[in-house]
Amino acid sequence: MYSEKVKQKVAKSSLYGFLITVSLASLFPFYWMFVMATNSNETINQTPPALIPGSELVTNFQNVLGSIPFFRTMLNSLIVSTSITLGVVLLCSLAGFAFAKIPFPGRGILFVLILGTMMIPPQLGLIPTYFIITELGWLSDLKAVIVPGLMHAFGIFWMRQYIASAVPDEIMEAARIDGCSNFRMYWNIIIPTILPAFATLGIIVFMQIWGDYLWPLVVLKDQSMHTIQVALRSLMDDRVKDYGMILSGTFWATVPLIIIFLLFNRMFIKSITDGAVKS
Amino acid sequence: MSQPQPKHEHYYDDKQVEPGIPNQKESPKRRQLSQKKRNMISGYLFISPFYLLFAVFGLFPILFSFYLAFFKWDGLGEMTFVGLNNFVIIFNDPLFWKSLYNTIVIGLMGTAPQLLAALLLAFALNSALVKGQSLFRLAIFLPYVTSIVAVAIVFSVIFSNQESGLVNSIIGLFGMDPITWTRSEWGTKIAIATMVFWRWVGYNTIIYLAGMQSIPKDLYEAAKMDGASLRQQIIHITIPMLKPFILFTVFTATIGALQLFAEPQIFQGRGGRPEGISVVLYLYRDAFSSNFFGTASATAIVLFVLIIIISTINMYFTNRIGGSDKVGAK
Amino acid sequence: MKKSWSIAFLLVLAVFLAGCSDSSSTEENENASEGDVKTVGSEDAEVELSFWLFGADYESLVEEYVEENPNVSIDIQQISMADHHNNLFTALSAGSGAPDMAAIEVSEIDKYKGAQDKFYNLNEFGAKEIQDNYLDWVWEIGSSVDGEFQFGIPTDIGPTAMFYRKDVFEEAGLPSKPEEVNELMQTWEDYEKVASTVLEKTGKVMVDNPETVFNAKKDQAPEQYFNKDGELIIDSSPYIKDAFMNVSGMIQEDYIGNYELWSPEWGEGMSNGSFATLPGPAWMRDTIKNNAPDAENWRIASMPEGAGNWGGSWMTIPKQSEHPEEAYKFLKWLLAPEQQLKSFKNNGMFPSTPEVYEKEEFKNITDDYYGGQNVAKIFADAALEVEHVHKGEQYGDANMEVVQGLYNVYDGADPEQEWEDIISRIERRLSR
Repeated sequence: MYSEKVKQKVAKSSLYGFLITVSLASLFPFYWMFVMATNSNETINQTPPALIPGSELVTNFQNVLGSIPFFRTMLNSLIVSTSITLGVVLLCSLAGFAFAKIPFPGRGILFVLILGTMMIPPQLGLIPTYFIITELGWLSDLKAVIVPGLMHAFGIFWMRQYIASAVPDEIMEAARIDGCSNFRMYWNIIIPTILPAFATLGIIVFMQIWGDYLWPLVVLKDQSMHTIQVALRSLMDDRVKDYGMILSGTFWATVPLIIIFLLFNRMFIKSITDGAVKS
Repeated sequence: MSQPQPKHEHYYDDKQVEPGIPNQKESPKRRQLSQKKRNMISGYLFISPFYLLFAVFGLFPILFSFYLAFFKWDGLGEMTFVGLNNFVIIFNDPLFWKSLYNTIVIGLMGTAPQLLAALLLAFALNSALVKGQSLFRLAIFLPYVTSIVAVAIVFSVIFSNQESGLVNSIIGLFGMDPITWTRSEWGTKIAIATMVFWRWVGYNTIIYLAGMQSIPKDLYEAAKMDGASLRQQIIHITIPMLKPFILFTVFTATIGALQLFAEPQIFQGRGGRPEGISVVLYLYRDAFSSNFFGTASATAIVLFVLIIIISTINMYFTNRIGGSDKVGAK
Repeated sequence: MKKSWSIAFLLVLAVFLAGCSDSSSTEENENASEGDVKTVGSEDAEVELSFWLFGADYESLVEEYVEENPNVSIDIQQISMADHHNNLFTALSAGSGAPDMAAIEVSEIDKYKGAQDKFYNLNEFGAKEIQDNYLDWVWEIGSSVDGEFQFGIPTDIGPTAMFYRKDVFEEAGLPSKPEEVNELMQTWEDYEKVASTVLEKTGKVMVDNPETVFNAKKDQAPEQYFNKDGELIIDSSPYIKDAFMNVSGMIQEDYIGNYELWSPEWGEGMSNGSFATLPGPAWMRDTIKNNAPDAENWRIASMPEGAGNWGGSWMTIPKQSEHPEEAYKFLKWLLAPEQQLKSFKNNGMFPSTPEVYEKEEFKNITDDYYGGQNVAKIFADAALEVEHVHKGEQYGDANMEVVQGLYNVYDGADPEQEWEDIISRIERRLSR
């Protein structure tokens, strides 16, 4: 009995050791980003490099503002990500509902087709898609990113899985017998039931679109129309490499996301957990 | 199943009876028929936005890419039909094979240990011994919040070629010479794999953790009763029950790994170098630095086929994990 | 949960609102920032011209022009060089989205020469009349091979010279005044001798990286990768191979450093004096100043065996423009000698119009950072030495492979073997 206790203590402390080490390693790059963002280039270039925050926080960020329209590009990213997120969540839940609960001919095949499109590398149609955007006159217009972004195969797949498991068939049947139209069913039954799924998919899509940069780079030509990712990337193009400035931009572009995540992390993790379990 | 269930009635208290909607008194057969029709209409209607968007921004561009793959075209001049020549060029190009090799090696380096680590972490987090689970979970998950561009920039600076670069300083403590990371065969791969590892390990941990928490506790209790060791419990209960989650993560990680692009592009500069060039970067370089749209399109098609083949292979193998178990019935 | 939603919303809102006011105020303060799209001129001007640029600042000149021509307003878009050319190429090939006026850099311009239908022939607007204002070799770079089609009007150029660290030369016991260094390094052979002394006495490398010294040698060759028929000639023509082998030899003697262009260690090395020389163009003056603001030891000597050209752009008018005449009128004014002199004085853009070189106010320009040297004159002399070399449509790809090969040699590859590999790599790219 005694040795069992010791064993458990050893197991416990090694577990904590492991988790603490991993957590620190996981957080370190954030800390380090901050260190770089607050130090001058001279300090950064010293050997050994700076490991504690310096005093150049403001200067470095002013340099960022001198190099890219930082706030404008953040706003662009926010507009793009928010509109795509709302659109995707609605369209995908609608389609997911259809695939999960409405029997119609060809449903299986059509669903597999959507899954199949997930395998297509987005680079495959990159060049021709650009032609379409120019034909539509959407160049340097956020629409060029938003509209194609509404096409989201994973969202449909995920919503289908969620709805299939979260909404019992019995309710559907009951509603149907009551003469409830499919859209009413979606509006009155599905949406209230899958709000957590909205949050999860919403956050996943938001993160994904927020981080996207190849496509915005191709279609958003005006620098004032860039998204933050494209803008950050162009910091690396400067011919005088100022790591303090580059990481200052990267840091301040990351901070809002960290804040949002920290506020909603419980909801996020809870809903992603529910979703994963149910699919 | 199809009996109306009174207990659900509260859902429809506010329903309005629309004209034309058949009521319950009609014969079941007719009602079913029109229901079928209605289902068909709304089913197609609900999924149509995706297919419309896909037709314009997915299918058409893809078909056009297939068309382009048989032409020599610089984007400005005339298009010349060259048959399969673009594919011949690619398959005879050592750099293409190198990019394929890099993609697979970096994919394995960034993904396999990462999924294992995620499994381990999830297991540790799931342990009844650990308090403050949510705090650890938060710390491990936080990197996922960072965009790939930001991760690539941060790690490009961490793996700087400078003597004062972070990793170079650390290995300097052990008396090693600074490494030119962007030009070193393994240095580049380690740096890129680290970026992938760091950003995704938390995400996968959360998914595994969710999976573990869905396993009924009494399964373990029963196993313990039967005298199963911790290891046996993991092999015979945890892994089989996690199968769908593992499938999901392997599937997404594989596709992600095959599409590797931003990390090597930012780490090694626009053109890339042989040590880090990935298939997508190879494609990008042909299309956007050199404007060889024919070979770029051919590469895109090869990549597409590759993704299908590799996904099938790893689905097959992952499916066999715990294939002989008796527990994971459903 | 609802509370945290609203807190987050307010936070985000606050950040952006704060940001909006911030960014507008800094935009007013900073003129030279790289990241602006600026409309200069009144909003109800009849003609709106879009103008794509990289790394050049014409804002004050554009303001001047718009004041005198109130019917025109000009949208300036500034982005990095690589993005700029990517965007332009995609817009041209897609058939829409191109600006009224676009700069094209010297290493990119030959790529567009097969696409005359995408540009206006500036001779249609009378470009021949202003040809004599410009250096012959610069004008020719902007023309088709037969000279009939004028793609662009020259802007600034990048005649090259040898930047060097006075203190490193002194440490090595060598003469360090510019005239003395000119004398000391007249040929590349002399240069290597100095390199050996520097290495022996100071342990430092002679030059930052293989690329810059290779560029300098390449620019002195009468022919480079391609002949005028577009054929790859590096296998038969001796010049590029000689330059490659020569630089490889210097690498093996440890004369050459590992400070890649534009990398942070390059800037750091510039500031610390880790390398003794840097063969570079006129615009490198500012790059060095920015990277090493406190170094007082950089000086400029002439390039051994003659100057070349690195960089510079030509202003083109894409066929998509609806106002080519107004665009031409503006470009003609912007790039006339008088305005080029202003661009040089304000932003260090070296003029391509030789009559400027004769002006007293140009000749007398000195730079305290470079020990009060007559910088304008040094590069003017270099500019007059340069001769036109045909580059070819695939110049960029070919050059990239050779530079990569040089770094492979640095990392231990055998030069002869690497040369064979370079040729096959280039040939493979050309077959696409």
